[in-house]
Amino acid sequence: MTLVALGVALILLAGLAAVALAPRPAAGETLFRILFGAGCIAGALPALSVLSGATVPDLRLVPVTPFGPWVFGLDALSAVFLFTVLSVGAACAYYGLAYLAHERGHRAVAIAHLLLAVLVAALALTVVARAALPFLIAWEVMAVAAYLLVVLEHERREVRRAGMIYVVATHVGTLLLFALFAIWAGGTSDLSFSALAAHAPFSGARGGTILAVALIAFGLKAGAVPFHFWLPEAHAAAPAHVSALMSGVVIKMGIYGLLRTLVLFGAPPPWWGWLVLALGAVSGVLGVVWALAQHDIKRLLAFHSVENVGIILLGIGAGALGIAYGHPLIAVLGFAGAALHTLNHALFKSLLFLGAGSVIHATGTREIDRLGGLARRMPGTAATFLVGAAAIVGLPPLNGFVSEWVVYQALLRGASAGGVIQLTGLAAVVLAFIGALALACFVKVVGVLYLGTPRHALSTEPREAEPALIRPLVALAAACGAIGLVPVVVVPSALRVGSLVAGAAAGGLQVDAGAGPATAFTVGLAVSLLLGWGAYAVLGRGRERLEAGTWSCGYPTPTPRMAYTASSFAAPLLSVFRSFTGVRTHRSAEAFSTHASDPVLDGVLVPAWRGARTAATWVRQVQRGGLSVYLLLVGAAVVVSLLYLVVAGRHP
Amino acid sequence: MSGSELIALGILGVVAPALPGIAGKTKSLLTGRRGPPVLQLYADLRKLLGKGAVYSRTTTWVFRAAPVVVLVTLFVAALLLPVDGREAPARFTGDLVAFAGLLALGRFALVLAGLDTGSSFEGLGASREVTIASFAEPALLLCFIALVLVTGDLSLSGMLGSPLAAAWPRAGASLSLVGISLFVLLLAENSRVPVDDPATHLELTMIHEVIVLDHSGPDLALILYGSAFKLTLFGVLVLGVFVPRAGLSTPAALALLVAGLGVVAVAVGVVESAMARLRLVRVPQLLVGAGALALFATILQLA
Repeated sequence: MTLVALGVALILLAGLAAVALAPRPAAGETLFRILFGAGCIAGALPALSVLSGATVPDLRLVPVTPFGPWVFGLDALSAVFLFTVLSVGAACAYYGLAYLAHERGHRAVAIAHLLLAVLVAALALTVVARAALPFLIAWEVMAVAAYLLVVLEHERREVRRAGMIYVVATHVGTLLLFALFAIWAGGTSDLSFSALAAHAPFSGARGGTILAVALIAFGLKAGAVPFHFWLPEAHAAAPAHVSALMSGVVIKMGIYGLLRTLVLFGAPPPWWGWLVLALGAVSGVLGVVWALAQHDIKRLLAFHSVENVGIILLGIGAGALGIAYGHPLIAVLGFAGAALHTLNHALFKSLLFLGAGSVIHATGTREIDRLGGLARRMPGTAATFLVGAAAIVGLPPLNGFVSEWVVYQALLRGASAGGVIQLTGLAAVVLAFIGALALACFVKVVGVLYLGTPRHALSTEPREAEPALIRPLVALAAACGAIGLVPVVVVPSALRVGSLVAGAAAGGLQVDAGAGPATAFTVGLAVSLLLGWGAYAVLGRGRERLEAGTWSCGYPTPTPRMAYTASSFAAPLLSVFRSFTGVRTHRSAEAFSTHASDPVLDGVLVPAWRGARTAATWVRQVQRGGLSVYLLLVGAAVVVSLLYLVVAGRHP
Repeated sequence: MSGSELIALGILGVVAPALPGIAGKTKSLLTGRRGPPVLQLYADLRKLLGKGAVYSRTTTWVFRAAPVVVLVTLFVAALLLPVDGREAPARFTGDLVAFAGLLALGRFALVLAGLDTGSSFEGLGASREVTIASFAEPALLLCFIALVLVTGDLSLSGMLGSPLAAAWPRAGASLSLVGISLFVLLLAENSRVPVDDPATHLELTMIHEVIVLDHSGPDLALILYGSAFKLTLFGVLVLGVFVPRAGLSTPAALALLVAGLGVVAVAVGVVESAMARLRLVRVPQLLVGAGALALFATILQLA
């Protein structure tokens, strides 16, 4: 734990160094890079050792802390999240240095670096906190730092709106967390997690209330449908490296919270497992369908975070059902799949957001329908983005496949277990549906963004991003490939997390998910692809190769405007889901486009807010500002109180 | 890996290009034409492999990599299937997910290659291909779940190997439904009537053929061979359910495999002559129907 504390201190120091040396940005950013990197390594090392089976002593701040001792600890669950925070945090911070460099003239860039350091430090503290108060403090610092980073480009109106929606949503979540800990502690003053765990198991409605409140509070942070409404707004408004960190890591704190709740709570009732499973299925399908309808690259990627949170929730739901119905194997596999998918999604989603950032940087637009053919201009960005796209779709031999395979195993074992839990087989079908739709969506993104021809003339010729912007992408893509290639190394660690969350229900069960033979498969596939490509290259040598225009079935003068757009590409699928996606189609003689609105935000919350405001203007009539009115009101209040006492039969 | 598995895979590789030929010949004979020879595709492949290739100036390495990725993923997928009816060369828990993943990887590469040309025709085909696949993949998984329930095994080798043969007497109804569902998926995944018409002459109505419009020479040969091989793989799936061969001697099992693949190809030809292509908006309904059959099969197995 000392190393983790040192790491957090170094990261904060890095941020302070960037601000202190703001007048000399080159020196400040070099120092930032060194300190931040050292901090991340210092924190990640103990996380890795815990994931490989070691234990680390807790850190306790006892005498002067309010609400019980402040404990910080690192178990396998904390470790997988800590590793995610630090690895993705480092990639985003390094990218951010180069990404914001050209804005040094007109923006307080150093402050942004400090805020990012604070955000990463707060995330790290959130996952190692073992008492409610430090957890809530870290949670709130995280939320505020993220808000300030979202509104970095506050001169734009939509950024301010997104920031406002985000800050309201996150504070509703925080309030619910206060309620959660208050109900849980039940009036006792010791709020350390070990004391909370001692309250379990609960009798009556209290346990159910705790789990329901936890699901809403953490679901709000994770962005599960119907609590997703803030997510695409905020993630699209933030600068690329902040979007990457938020979509990759910050929303995962909701997942961490759910899993930590389960660790402390013990066995959940079946209804909770089914509810989580249903939320996962709905989030997964709606997330990817809404993503299909988006043509703003960052909003599209943000909706894919909703989808992937859905996949993670499917894992958690299967795990909870495994505990509830007494199938330890399903429990361990479900939680393990959820934990592994959390790490994997953080890696490929940040990769995709950073790649999208480079494209926006180079072209000045987020509308994918305006772009095209960027693979020729930006080969490095395109290749890494392609790896990220294949990974998020869950294609072998990349990391998304490995974690989805573990989740599938949990669901399929549920299907063949016997009893009510067999219904989890339907969730496996939903997962297949999500995967196939995600493939459609990322074919659209990669195809329209990087392949083909540009669909509009851009004001400036797009150029490949500078090496400092590509290096983080290559590192993240390499991580996606590495995890995909060696499930035998990562799956046992994930299973360790799964056993921890399953707790007593796992009963020390040794789970073999078949990662060894799976590794033979993934490595074999990768080698076969390389050999196939090699054979193709060797056999193709010396053959005649002609270059020509694309064959357009005889049409002599194809123009870029005829190129297939993202709207057209997604149209057949969206027409199937038309009734519940809020997608509108605009057709004219020469153009076709689709437009998506969010049913929860635009359909429910905004009207509700308007209604509240109208009601408020009516109430405002009372506040006229004249002293006589207030005196009248005071008098009326006294009379009403007296009347109440008389009616209630009690004399003053 | 035993000898019979290797021989079975070899047979699969050799007979694959005959399957589209048999289907086409059946269709021709049923409609009163003579049609091209059954072995036409072998001649086409030899001709294409001897040629050079023309590449569009718009394309990148993605376009060139696609044929290789398609073929390699199909070959690796074949390793997961018990082609000889007993044991697959490679198996692991949950490899049915890997099988679906490999098909998806091949599709991902092929569809991106289509979009790489920048032509609207390829875009059209790509869009339709992923739309149909979005409904075919859950249906395929439902079939697999039904088989998991019937056999209690989480790998394709067990689901289609000897445990399945033992399950026929008690789960015949479920297995028949799964087999029919798999046959519909065979038609959909391999772009046959009623989902796609391989013999159509108008690019606007095509799905698979229009994605590979710009491929030529050896690239086209790889893709044509890949399509035939994919049809054969699905044929093996359907045969695995309907004709379990676990208890037979190796020569008998292999002979039954070849004969069975021929019957599947004839069945494809008969379907093609008996009905017309569905409207594109009806295709998801067909696939949901196939999924519903597999769902019934699953429900029958719920204890």
